Amino acid sequence: MSEAMTLGTSLPRLEAAAKAAGAARYTADMELPGMLHGAVLGSPHAHARIASYDVSAARALPGVKAVVTGADIPQRRFGLTVADESALAIGKVRYIGDPVAAVAAVDTEIAARALELIKVAYEELPAMVTPEQAMADGAPLIHEGYAGYPKIFDCISSGNIMSLARISAGDAEAAWSQCDLIVEDVYETQAQYHAYMEPVAAIAEVDAVGRMTIWSTTQSVFRTQACVSEALGLPRGKVRAISPYVGGGFGGKSEPGVQLVAAVLARACGRPVKVVLRREDDIMTMRSRHPAKIRLKTGARRDGTILARTGDVIMDGGAYADDSPAAMTIVLHFLRGPYRIPNVAFDGRVVYTNKLRAGAFRAVGNAQATFACESQLDELAARLSIDPIDLRLKNAIQQGDRWLGGHAVGSASLAECLTKVRVASDWDTRRAADQKATTTGKRRALGVSSIVYTCAYLSTSAVVRLLEDGTVSVATGAVDIGQGSDTAIAQMCAAALQLPIASVTLVRPDTDATPYNSGTNASRVTYMLGQVIAQAADQVRTQIFRHAADLFECAEEDIELLPGGRVAIKGVSERALTFAEISRRAHFQVGGPIIGQGSYVFDAGKNDPKLAIAKGTISLEHIGTYVFGAQVVDVEVDEITGKVEVLEAWSAHDVGRAVNRQAVEGQIEGAFAQGLGYALMEELVWDDGQLINPSFMDYKIPGTLDMPPKFHPIIIENPEPTHPFGVKGIGEPPVIGVAPAIANAIEQASGVRIRRLPLTGERVLRALVTRDSRAP
Amino acid sequence: MSAAFHEPTTIAEAVAILATEPDVCCLAGGQSLVAALNTRSFAAPTLVSLQRIEELRGLRRGADGSVTVGAMTTHRDVARADCFQAGQEIVPQAAAHIAHPAVRTMGTIGGSICHADPAADYPGVLAACGATVTLVNARGQRELAASDFFVDFLTTAVEPDEMVTAITFPPMPEGTRGIYEKFCRSEGDFATVSVALILGMHDGRCAFARVALGGCGPTPVRAPEAETRLIGSRLDDDDISSASNLLCSRAAPQSDVRGSAEYRLMLVPRLLVRALDRARRRP
Ligand SMILES: Cc1cc2nc3c(=O)[nH]c(=O)nc-3n(C[C@H](O)[C@H](O)[C@H](O)COP(=O)(O)OP(=O)(O)OC[C@H]3O[C@@H](n4cnc5c(N)ncnc54)[C@H](O)[C@@H]3O)c2cc1C
Repeated sequence: MSEAMTLGTSLPRLEAAAKAAGAARYTADMELPGMLHGAVLGSPHAHARIASYDVSAARALPGVKAVVTGADIPQRRFGLTVADESALAIGKVRYIGDPVAAVAAVDTEIAARALELIKVAYEELPAMVTPEQAMADGAPLIHEGYAGYPKIFDCISSGNIMSLARISAGDAEAAWSQCDLIVEDVYETQAQYHAYMEPVAAIAEVDAVGRMTIWSTTQSVFRTQACVSEALGLPRGKVRAISPYVGGGFGGKSEPGVQLVAAVLARACGRPVKVVLRREDDIMTMRSRHPAKIRLKTGARRDGTILARTGDVIMDGGAYADDSPAAMTIVLHFLRGPYRIPNVAFDGRVVYTNKLRAGAFRAVGNAQATFACESQLDELAARLSIDPIDLRLKNAIQQGDRWLGGHAVGSASLAECLTKVRVASDWDTRRAADQKATTTGKRRALGVSSIVYTCAYLSTSAVVRLLEDGTVSVATGAVDIGQGSDTAIAQMCAAALQLPIASVTLVRPDTDATPYNSGTNASRVTYMLGQVIAQAADQVRTQIFRHAADLFECAEEDIELLPGGRVAIKGVSERALTFAEISRRAHFQVGGPIIGQGSYVFDAGKNDPKLAIAKGTISLEHIGTYVFGAQVVDVEVDEITGKVEVLEAWSAHDVGRAVNRQAVEGQIEGAFAQGLGYALMEELVWDDGQLINPSFMDYKIPGTLDMPPKFHPIIIENPEPTHPFGVKGIGEPPVIGVAPAIANAIEQASGVRIRRLPLTGERVLRALVTRDSRAP
Repeated sequence: MSAAFHEPTTIAEAVAILATEPDVCCLAGGQSLVAALNTRSFAAPTLVSLQRIEELRGLRRGADGSVTVGAMTTHRDVARADCFQAGQEIVPQAAAHIAHPAVRTMGTIGGSICHADPAADYPGVLAACGATVTLVNARGQRELAASDFFVDFLTTAVEPDEMVTAITFPPMPEGTRGIYEKFCRSEGDFATVSVALILGMHDGRCAFARVALGGCGPTPVRAPEAETRLIGSRLDDDDISSASNLLCSRAAPQSDVRGSAEYRLMLVPRLLVRALDRARRRP
């Protein structure tokens, strides 16, 4: 199969049949000899000091093999940006559900009963459940030891504020006076639950020489390895992390789930221990998208040229930092949007509160920033009487422009994406039509949003081995969490070596067997892995050519690759050698086995202080390669109930090159659905520190029937010049524009602007009632 | 896990078990009960599965036009039934609004009303139709009006040794139409508010009206005075709004994640207007 045939074709997922038949095994399906079952006791208090434990009754229960508390584990902390977490609470609990103790028993029922027998004495502390409460004068500290925690960034903090960051460029204050129009408002977004199909699960086992193996549902076996090694004080090599199939992550499995609890239990009882969270516990104790409150101000000339923007962002980080400071950096990095705005100043604070931690979530930070920016852009357009798409086009970033701080933007195709959705949705005709209420009390209109994100991040590596029979084995640490990267990686490798897909086998992520990859996040896997697959395949090909040149007694330059795993002297294809012949020669006669390897770290360059000043942020040096998109939604507002429905949607994305079209469309549809949930219905709700909707009965996510009956993924392919296969990422971008596009359509349909997510029937109806009470 | 599990094949066998076992309850489609057992929030009782009792399944139309639905009839079968006539069509309409196909294929009308979630779709419909529920124990049988059957949030008049065997929907006057309006957050969710309406018009005036609300209190809400206010009127804005007020004054909604109490009270008159409009429009 030629490269052209492999790349871009909608090959079925390699594991699709196994998953559909229920044969694919996930962590919870695994059984090990002698395995015990673990359970976790959560804190009943949002904020309290732990005075004492009494675990004697639990230990005495027949069938219980281990009971551990924060007093029994290494007194060490870990964390991606701030080392503020421990496997079990040490000294203090910081949210309702915070793991306090854990039990390993012969079955889950006994483990659950043992939990009820554990007595913990608490001294309650005042709970601060909102950032405002946590920032109030004299608020007690949630992390008294914060100053002493190791951190990976130049942290500026105070009180319960875990990080204060600022990015600015130009002189916004001076620019306001040149603006003819300034709009300013506050936009609020909510906590969203990842709702991956597979709740978190882990199995830990300690072998005879003290080496720990962890099987778990994770987005990165290397992050799992790092966290377990840091939390337990073990050298990296003493921890092995493996991922069986993973049932979704969406960012929620980037950092640990229950791996650490399984690890401390396995150490305590010397037997393998499996911990699987029930859905309710997963919702209560894992993580959410960061709730954000964004004050945004934008100023423009009468002709629509945007001159300045400022933003002040408060995000609720919850009880532990996780990746919150990084999330804030992303918010500030994207608050300018994909536009040429010369003068900007963005300030952000992430605050600890006594709630579930917030963490990475499909388009972390960007989704919040874009809701504010793209909503405000429409408000500006309305006030200027300029068509919203025209206003976006007028200010769109162009080829050759630089991002805040100087990053190269690459193929800046925002204008093309906007134009595609404009034409496909018949925007100009539809927007001109008056949105009259129908007899059934419904109004309908279109709304738009621009999208920009990045897809290159940190580092990765791959090893490609030519096996004796001429097929190849690809080892990468990239976990396919259900998004389809294994198939994409196999397709790229098959294309590079002109092999049929069946000749490529992937090694499952295993820190013992696969080389480093930072994680399945940031829409990065296909882009990053493409870089190293190309390198590794190139090395394999070079070695194959060397053997072929030797055998044909010609120069290496005269050898060419033929489809189907063969090489020949250029133009003499009838005398071809197969990969199998060459590999056998390498394995048993000359040179040794053929192995190619690739290593890559993305480098966007240092922030240029002449272009932007950044303080208190995470480094942005290793993040970049910008991805553009645009979405239009056709929305119907039921003015009787306030309920909003999306009837049709167009989602256009420049993916550089679609390695697998169907997989790209799947990502666009899936991300749109998750964006729809974020826009219309999903919200974790707390009452005084208690999460009140930790079940799918109370926390609704959209199903198939909530998706627009007509949905149009539009794939744009401008091959990415920095990539060997021309690829960009698509995992996250389509989630980003849905909420602002819907909010914009609601305003166009019904004349009400809602600046708070989700756009529930109740919020919309209240706005409509206010509108009607103001009407003459 | 369950202490014991029985699978009787007749009603007589089932009620005999209910009469003798101490901590016992019926298992119908399991769509509410099994989910509740999975939360482990209470000790598992002895279960009497009704799945094998054929006499509890199916729909039957009586000579008087009433429709009797066996307790074990699934939501799917009710939604597809064609034996409901004038006004009664609200029953299959509501059944079709319950959850998703998977739940409708397993869940039963008996299970739904015995679970007595005020956000569920059947309770309001039973109230609007003036349906009666047939209860049986080892000693005999009794009939209860819907208004007496639903006692409180998740609480019915079913005694521990009793089971529901059937629900009977009486005939409605000829020419009436039933309309079921359900507002929920997403497809397949429980109702935030539902309105069950049966309406008859004659010469431009309302000749018959029955209205019941779901999601507006611990049990379905009916307000005979609101119905009286509508009957005889031309259903002008004034008529509807004063009927709505009467209905709302009987409602006692709670705030929850589906919506605030205030929002529910905003929805009631709005959904009633919509239901009345739909009922008056030609089919
Ligand atoms: C995802 C999901 C979504 C749902 N959405 C909706 C919805 O939108 N609208 C809605 O109305 N419902 C909804 N439901 C509930 C559903 O309709 C259930 O089927 C119903 O509530 C219970 O019926 P069942 O047959 O499954 O009863 P079970 O769960 O088996 O039993 C429920 C209760 O009734 C008792 N019981 C059952 N049968 C009898 C009997 N004959 N006599 C005495 N006691 C009996 C049981 O002991 C138990 O206490 C939903 C359920 C799920 C899982």
